[in-house]
Amino acid sequence: MFKDLDPILHAQLRLAVMSLLIGVKEAEFTFLKEKSKATAGNLSIQLNKLKEAGYIEINKQFRNNYPLTLCKITRKGVEAFEAYVLALQSYTQNPES
Amino acid sequence: MHDKELSHEESLKLISSMIGQAKDAYHDTGIGAMLWGIVIAICSIVKFTEIHFNYRLPFDIFLLTIVAIIPQIIISAKEQRNRNRSVKTYDEVFLKYIWIGFGIAIFLLIFINNAVFQSWQPVAKEYTALTGNAPSFRFSEFVPAYFLLLYGLPTFITGTACHFKPMLWGGIFCWVCCLITLYSNTETDMLLTALSALVAWFFPGLLMKREYQKSKRKESADV
Repeated sequence: MFKDLDPILHAQLRLAVMSLLIGVKEAEFTFLKEKSKATAGNLSIQLNKLKEAGYIEINKQFRNNYPLTLCKITRKGVEAFEAYVLALQSYTQNPES
Repeated sequence: MHDKELSHEESLKLISSMIGQAKDAYHDTGIGAMLWGIVIAICSIVKFTEIHFNYRLPFDIFLLTIVAIIPQIIISAKEQRNRNRSVKTYDEVFLKYIWIGFGIAIFLLIFINNAVFQSWQPVAKEYTALTGNAPSFRFSEFVPAYFLLLYGLPTFITGTACHFKPMLWGGIFCWVCCLITLYSNTETDMLLTALSALVAWFFPGLLMKREYQKSKRKESADV
């Protein structure tokens, strides 16, 4: 019996963001943008979708008068990511089903 | 990168690639390790010469470690300011607290040693007055062992947590020297302490600095 893949995570940019955030305590918007090679506008939209799903926290601050966006994965996000990876593994281990 | 749907294989590949990139996000500059390696080595070698050539400086050379806190604070502040990798890793946070805890433990150990010396001195004097001989037990001969025991701990943890073998072996080297100092005289203890500081911190710090510069060059090339 296969589990459905989480539609929030099963998209390239959102999955890339979650994979980057799973291994770090927090990351700035610029780091996510640099690593995912996404445009600022698209990344912003996808981050908001992840935030609405409760998978990440977005904290906006100022540093040296410049806006700073910090992103952090939530407990719910970690659980969703783990479930997604498990589901993916079950698909790849039984590809014909 | 777009918001496209992925095949299962593509998803797994993307996950592993991004996790790998985030994992490589933290590189220590190595300057702090080099600083403390050289400071402890200098203090220990000067102490060795004091004992060997039978002279005394007007101050305790190990007070230099307190002075070295100032450049360490400046280095940490500068590194924080220059950090253009806008990410905070778990390793970084964990190691920061390990080394802060180590600093606190070192100062507590100095305080404990002073308390033991103060309690022991009257007993030693009384023993000498009664027997006419100095006591064969000298607490000062065991002090380097306590310090080397502590030096080894955060070094070993850093080495294992960061998969950085020079520090892992450096930590083990401190513990081996800790055991040797139990059976050697204070002069040798000081040389072993100097050697431990170089092996555990200074040389790994040099390698870290090289790695850091390499990662910086790679970063610039990527941009």
